[in-house]
Amino acid sequence: MAMAALRREGRRFATPLISPNPTNALRSSLIPSQEPVSSGVRCISTQVVRNRMKSVKNIQKITKAMKMVAASKLRAIQTKTENSRGLWQPFTALLGDTPSVDVKKNVIVTISSDKGLCGGINSTSVKISRAIHKLNSGPEKENKYVVLGEKAKAQLLRDSKKDIELIMTELQKNPLNYTQVSVIADDILKNVEFDALRIVYNKFQSVVAFLPTMSTVLSPEVVEREAEAGGKLGELDSYEVEGAETKAEVLQNLAEFQFSCVMFNAVLENACSEQGARMSAMDSSSRNAGDMLDRLTLTYNRTRQASITTELIEIISGASALEG
Amino acid sequence: MASNAAAPFWRAAGMTYITYSNLCANLVRNCLKEPYKTEALNREKVHYSISKWVDGKPQKPTIRSDTPED
Amino acid sequence: MFRHGSRFLTRATTTMKWRRPFSTDLPAESVADSNFIEAWRKVVPNVEPPKTPSAFMAARPATPSSIPSKLTVNFVLPYSSELSGKEVDMVIIPATTGQMGVLPGHVATIAELKPGVLSVHEGNDVTKYFVSGGFAFVHANSFADIIAVEAVPLDRIDANLVQKGLAEFTQKLGTASTDVEKAEAQIGVDVHSALNAALTG
Repeated sequence: MAMAALRREGRRFATPLISPNPTNALRSSLIPSQEPVSSGVRCISTQVVRNRMKSVKNIQKITKAMKMVAASKLRAIQTKTENSRGLWQPFTALLGDTPSVDVKKNVIVTISSDKGLCGGINSTSVKISRAIHKLNSGPEKENKYVVLGEKAKAQLLRDSKKDIELIMTELQKNPLNYTQVSVIADDILKNVEFDALRIVYNKFQSVVAFLPTMSTVLSPEVVEREAEAGGKLGELDSYEVEGAETKAEVLQNLAEFQFSCVMFNAVLENACSEQGARMSAMDSSSRNAGDMLDRLTLTYNRTRQASITTELIEIISGASALEG
Repeated sequence: MASNAAAPFWRAAGMTYITYSNLCANLVRNCLKEPYKTEALNREKVHYSISKWVDGKPQKPTIRSDTPED
Repeated sequence: MFRHGSRFLTRATTTMKWRRPFSTDLPAESVADSNFIEAWRKVVPNVEPPKTPSAFMAARPATPSSIPSKLTVNFVLPYSSELSGKEVDMVIIPATTGQMGVLPGHVATIAELKPGVLSVHEGNDVTKYFVSGGFAFVHANSFADIIAVEAVPLDRIDANLVQKGLAEFTQKLGTASTDVEKAEAQIGVDVHSALNAALTG
């Protein structure tokens, strides 16, 4: 991460700047003009520290601004997320929560963000997706990825290229809304064959807590099969079905609608987590920059003080030499 | 009403329930009084880019958008 | 750095009470699928199993032996929860098979909604919404979940626009050539006549 690099940089400066030794000079290639020996050393080192302080200050300004932006975006999206939470609950109440269902064609929908600098939420999504892939793999089984967002794409490209079916990006150009997500869900339904869709996202808990979550959406055939087999979906048979001619038809509509509703909430939760994570990441970056600035200021002042003292000693000893 | 017909006509035309319900919702939004209409229509804007992958290779991405590129 | 901090905090908060509970989020402790957790731990022991939706949802009460006097209704839209766990006397749902009145103790039903009027009866108060479509589940325990894509109070609908739309789509239906166009026009006619009926009836 960029911030870690910066911090390392800062530590390097905090260590003896006044006595430049060759190893230090080799390492810090960032320092522009390296000591032309003797006389100039002191002013150069204060100059370097001053430049450094300026750049750290600028970085701090940027991270602070990013934090403010994330905070305001978070506020908007958090309300939406809260409002969308009612949407998936009826489906879970009716169709149950079936993470352990064993089917042939699994499609893992990994939700991530397009932009980085938001902590570990994208790697968490990817890690969980890979684990689900591993969990459901076996002979005659098929696992496919549908990826939302640039960041998970970049990570999954490395080792799972073959299993990627669809990639969707640029979701957040407009504020997220139901129509947008449902059209995406529609595209997934049309392009991918599945028995079970497993949607992986980060559920927003608070600004510092995101829970990796997996929602399962079953295809209508599997729902019917499971309902007949009893178990978690056994109760479904006791429901009367009003609507189209056959139960299968209603289940088909229901599964499609469930997918779009679950997706909608998942995308919002993840976007909310993204802003929250970015806010905390930027907050700690600004703090780190502040710490570094303090250290640099200390070094700077000390160097300056040292040079003044030396000059004074020179003057005094020169004067006393003349007197004597 | 026609929606009582045998197989839903919209599925016969290749639509999914999602498309159908979105179309219905959009028509309702279009019949709202101002300012609710603008508010509801502005809320529901679509924009994203999708690319299909075949055998580990990306196909050309397509952009789905309500708002034309500027 | 932060990544580790967050992981630690995640674990901490799961054992703590929610710091700031969401209104729609119900603090239910895990009724998680034990088979899933077990299988997960066997295959990927170094990654915590993800949460599943049931962890964020309060369990619904069992079917009571006697019929309760009120119906508990959840009416949700993508952008808001219109009613959440509200106790009412009756709701009338626009199912595709016709208007369906739901009273407490109604038989468990899954109903597809058509564009039409949903009314919520609470004592003498009747709240009417126009819903564009969705689903309604009536559970045996006198819970009703209604999910709609769009729902608006009747007084927000502009009657002139409805008439205009109806005429436009009726005409389109006549000229449509492809299946998709026909279906779209048909949907237009359906929705607008339902809107019209809702306003006049």
